[in-house]
Amino acid sequence: MSAVALPEIPPARARGESLWRKAARKFARDRLGMVALGVVLAYFVAAVGVWLGWWAMGWPDLTGTKWEAVSGTHWFGTNIIGQDIFDRAIYSTATAFEVGLIVALVATAIGAILGGFAGFFAGTWIDEVLVWLMGVLDAIPFYLFVAAVAYALTDNPWAMHVAMISTFWVGTGRLIRGEVIKLRGMEYVEAAHSIGVPEVVIIFRHILPNTSHILLVQASVMFVGAIKAEVILSFLGLGIKDGMSWGLMIDESTKEVLAGFYNNFLAASLLMFGLVMAFNAVADALQDALDPRKVG
Amino acid sequence: MAGDAAAPVLRVRDLSVEFVTEEGVIRAVDRVSFDVQPNETLGIVGESGCGKTVTGLSILRLIPMPPGRIAGGSIELNGRDLVPLPDGEIEDIRGRDISMIFQEPMTALNPVFTIGSQMADVLCRHRDLTRRQARVVAAELLAKVNIPAPASRLDDYPHQLSGGMRQRVMIAMALSCNPQLLIADEPTTALDVTTQAQVLQQISALQAEFRMAVILVTHDLGVVAETCQRAVVMYCGSIVEAGDVASLFSQPRHPYTAGLLASIPRLRAERLAELPVIPGRVPDLLNLPAGCRFADRCPRVQERCRMERPTLAGTGTGGSLVACHYPL
Amino acid sequence: MEILQYALRKLLGGLPLIVGVTLVSFALMVYFGPDMTYLLLGKNPTPEQILEVRQQLGYDQPFLQRYLGFLREIVTLDFGVASTGEPVTALLAKTIPVSLILILPGFILGHVVGLLMALAAAYWRGRWLDKLIMAVAVTGMSISFLIVIIGFQIVLSSSDGLDLFPVRGWNSTSLGSYLTYVTVPTLATMFVALGYETRFYRSIIVEEMSRDHVRTARAFGLPESRIFFRNILKNCLIPIITRIMFSIPQVAIGGALLIESYFGIPGVGKATYEAIITGDQPVLKAVVSLTAILFVLVVVLTDILYRAVDPRVTIE
Repeated sequence: MSAVALPEIPPARARGESLWRKAARKFARDRLGMVALGVVLAYFVAAVGVWLGWWAMGWPDLTGTKWEAVSGTHWFGTNIIGQDIFDRAIYSTATAFEVGLIVALVATAIGAILGGFAGFFAGTWIDEVLVWLMGVLDAIPFYLFVAAVAYALTDNPWAMHVAMISTFWVGTGRLIRGEVIKLRGMEYVEAAHSIGVPEVVIIFRHILPNTSHILLVQASVMFVGAIKAEVILSFLGLGIKDGMSWGLMIDESTKEVLAGFYNNFLAASLLMFGLVMAFNAVADALQDALDPRKVG
Repeated sequence: MAGDAAAPVLRVRDLSVEFVTEEGVIRAVDRVSFDVQPNETLGIVGESGCGKTVTGLSILRLIPMPPGRIAGGSIELNGRDLVPLPDGEIEDIRGRDISMIFQEPMTALNPVFTIGSQMADVLCRHRDLTRRQARVVAAELLAKVNIPAPASRLDDYPHQLSGGMRQRVMIAMALSCNPQLLIADEPTTALDVTTQAQVLQQISALQAEFRMAVILVTHDLGVVAETCQRAVVMYCGSIVEAGDVASLFSQPRHPYTAGLLASIPRLRAERLAELPVIPGRVPDLLNLPAGCRFADRCPRVQERCRMERPTLAGTGTGGSLVACHYPL
Repeated sequence: MEILQYALRKLLGGLPLIVGVTLVSFALMVYFGPDMTYLLLGKNPTPEQILEVRQQLGYDQPFLQRYLGFLREIVTLDFGVASTGEPVTALLAKTIPVSLILILPGFILGHVVGLLMALAAAYWRGRWLDKLIMAVAVTGMSISFLIVIIGFQIVLSSSDGLDLFPVRGWNSTSLGSYLTYVTVPTLATMFVALGYETRFYRSIIVEEMSRDHVRTARAFGLPESRIFFRNILKNCLIPIITRIMFSIPQVAIGGALLIESYFGIPGVGKATYEAIITGDQPVLKAVVSLTAILFVLVVVLTDILYRAVDPRVTIE
C-alpha cells in the first residue's frame, strides 16, 4: 500500500489576511457589538471628563437639602445629606474605569508573563512552582485574601487593587500556560530553538504575541470582574477609601432604600449595569470575532 | 455513467451541496452524478477540500444543516429519493440500509460507553432485539472482523483498543444490519500502513460476504487501485473524470488525473527523479473562475478553457467520462 | 480499598497546597500584618508590659518558628479565643450549620436551573429560545450581586414592594420561619449564579455536540433526543462535576459573606466579615485554613468522582 497523499493545500481563504484584520472586519459587522462599543466609549468620555476636571467636580459639596427630587439643578436628585447624586454617579464612572483598567492591564500582563514562563518550562520545577502558586491563590477565598492584603498594606488605598491583581491573573495565567504548551511544539518555535535563539526571546518575541487574542478577551473579562468586585468590596468597607464609587453609593443607599428613597440606589446600579452589560457584550463580540473556529 | 444492465443501488444525480458562510455561499459539491452498482466498490478521489467527504456525508444527510444545505439534485436508494425524506425516515435508513464509517477511529466512538453498549444501541435501534440478544450478535460481529476474544471485548471502552481495532469495531457496527451500501470516508488514513492494508482487505472480504456495495472516499490513489472497480475523480466540487479503475490508471484523460498519477512515488523507479507536482493552488470556492476550474494549473490550457466550463461527457473508450475540452 | 488508597495519595498530594495557603495567610495577616500589641494592652502601657505582650505574641521570634507555631495551631485545631471571648471552635460549630442551610438551596437551584436552561438553549441552539435564554443570562451576569440582593429585598420584603418576607434577620427554629427567612437570600443567590452557570453549561454542551462520536451516533440512526440526553450529556459530566465541586469553596465563603452580612444572618460568613473588620486574627486564621482544607478535599473528591463517570481516568 502506498501512502501517497495528494498535496494538502489549505484553501486560499486561510492565508493572507491576518487574524486581527479579519477579526476587526467581523467585529464591525456585529451590530450588537458595535452598539455596545459605542456605549462603552460614551462612559469612557464621561470618565475622561472627570480626570480632566471638566465635570462632576462638585460631588463632595452640599449643594441641596436632604433627598431632593429630580430637578433641573439636581438631575438625579440629592442624597441623605444633600449632595448631588448625578455628580457623584458620574465621578464614580471615572473610579470604575480606574479600577477596571488598572486591574485588567496589570493582571493581564502578569498572567501573560507567568503563564508564558510556566508553559514554556512545563515539566520543570519553574512550572511546578508557578502551578502551585496558582493553586494556592485559587484556594484562598477572595474576600479573605482582600482583607489579608488590606492588613499587610495597613489601609493603603491600593490594597484592593493589589488584592484583585494578585488573584485575577491566575485565570489568564492558566489559559496562557495551556496555549504556550501547545505553541511550544510548533515548528517555528522549534526552529528558533534549534538556531540558538535565547529562551526569553522565544517566549516574548515568538510565543506570547500569538496569544494576544486570548489576552484581549481575558482583559475585557477582568475589567468587568474588577468593577463588580469593587462595588461589593466598597460596600463591605474593603474597597475604595478616598473618593466616590458606585459601591460606596450603594452602601450609602441601603439606609435610604428602607426609607423609600431610591434615587441613589437606582443611579449607581443602573449606571453600573449599563457599563457592565455593554462591556460584556463587547467581550462576547470580541470573542466571536477572534474565534478562528467560526467560519469567516 | 457506465451502462450496466443491473439497477444501481444508489443513483446520485446533479447533487449540489452549499454552505452559507458570513462571506457568501460556498458550493462545496456542484452537480455531481454517479451510480453505485450492487457489489461494486466505487472510489471517490480528490484532494482535501474537493468535496468528496461532503458528497459522502450528504448521502445520509449528515452535513450540519444549517449552515449546510442540499441545493439540488437527487439521491436515489433503490429508486427512492432520499433528499425529500422527513428526518424520521432518513434516521431509519442510517445504519440499516446505508452505513458509514469515518476517518478518525480515535474520536468516532463515544469514549464513555463500552463497545458492547454502543453496538447494542445500533442493533436495538434497527433490529428487534433485546439488549441481551444484541450482546450476543455484537460478539458475533466482532468475531467477523477478526477481533480476538470478542465476548470480553464488549466490556472494553474505546480507549482500551488500538486504532486498527477501533476501526474494526466501527466496521462491525456498520455491518450490524446487513446494509446494502457502506460509505467509508478515508477509513484508513489515520492508521499505520500495515493496519491500513488489513482493514482494507477486511472491507473487501466482508463486501463479498455481505454482498454490499461500497463507496470508498479517499485521497489515496493507491487505495483506489487496490480496492475499487470504478472511481470518480473530484476537483473543486465537481467530477472531472470517471471510469473503471484499470483504464483510469493506464489511460487518464483529464490532465488533473494525469497529474495526480504522476505525483505518486514508485518504489521501483529507475532513478530518483524529483516527483512532479501539480503547480499552483486550488481556487477559492468563493471566487471560482468562469471557465474550467483547473485552467490555472493545467499544462494544456487553451483560451476556450478560461471562457467555457467543460461538462462531463463520454469519451468513447470503455464508458469513461471526462470533463475537459482537450482531453489527453 | 483501592479507592481509599487513591484518596489518601491524593490527600498527601494536597499538602503543598495547604502549606502554600497557610504560608500566604500567615505572611499577610500575621507576619506583615498589623501589630496587635497595643490592641491587647490598656492605655499607657509600661515598656515592660509591651515587651511581655510582644513575647507572648511571639513577635521576637524568627519567621519560620512563628509559622511553625501557626501550623501547630491548625493541626491541633486549637485556634484560640475570638475577640468576643468565645473559643473559635465553638464559634465555628455554631455558625457553620447556619451558613450551610442558608446557602445550600440557592446553590443547588442555581446549578439545576442553570443546567436546565443551558440544555434548552443548546437543544434549540440558534433558535429564538436559545437567543432569549442567552440574552437573559448575559443580563443576569451584568447585575452586581449586591444590587440583586437589594433589588429582591425591595421587591419582596419592603413596604413599597410585596412585603412578603422579613427585611432581614434569621430564625430557623421551625420549618416555617426557616422558609420565610431563607427565601429572599436563596432567590438572590440563585439569580446571581444563573447567568454564569447557564452560559458555562451551554458552551460545554454545544462543544460536545460537535464531537465526532455524535456524528457517528447520528450516522447509525440513533434518534436525536437519545443522542442529546444520553450520549452527549454523559460526556459533559466531567466539566459539570468540576464546575459544581470547585464552586463549593467559593460559595461557602464568598457568597455567605455578603448575604449574611447584608441580611444580618449569624453564619460563618458574617463571623468572618466581622473578624475582617475588627482584625480578629484567631477567627480569620481558622477560616482561611479550613477553607484551604475544604479546597483540598474538593480536589480529592472531584478526582474520585471523575473515576466514576469517565472510564479513561484510572488509578495510576
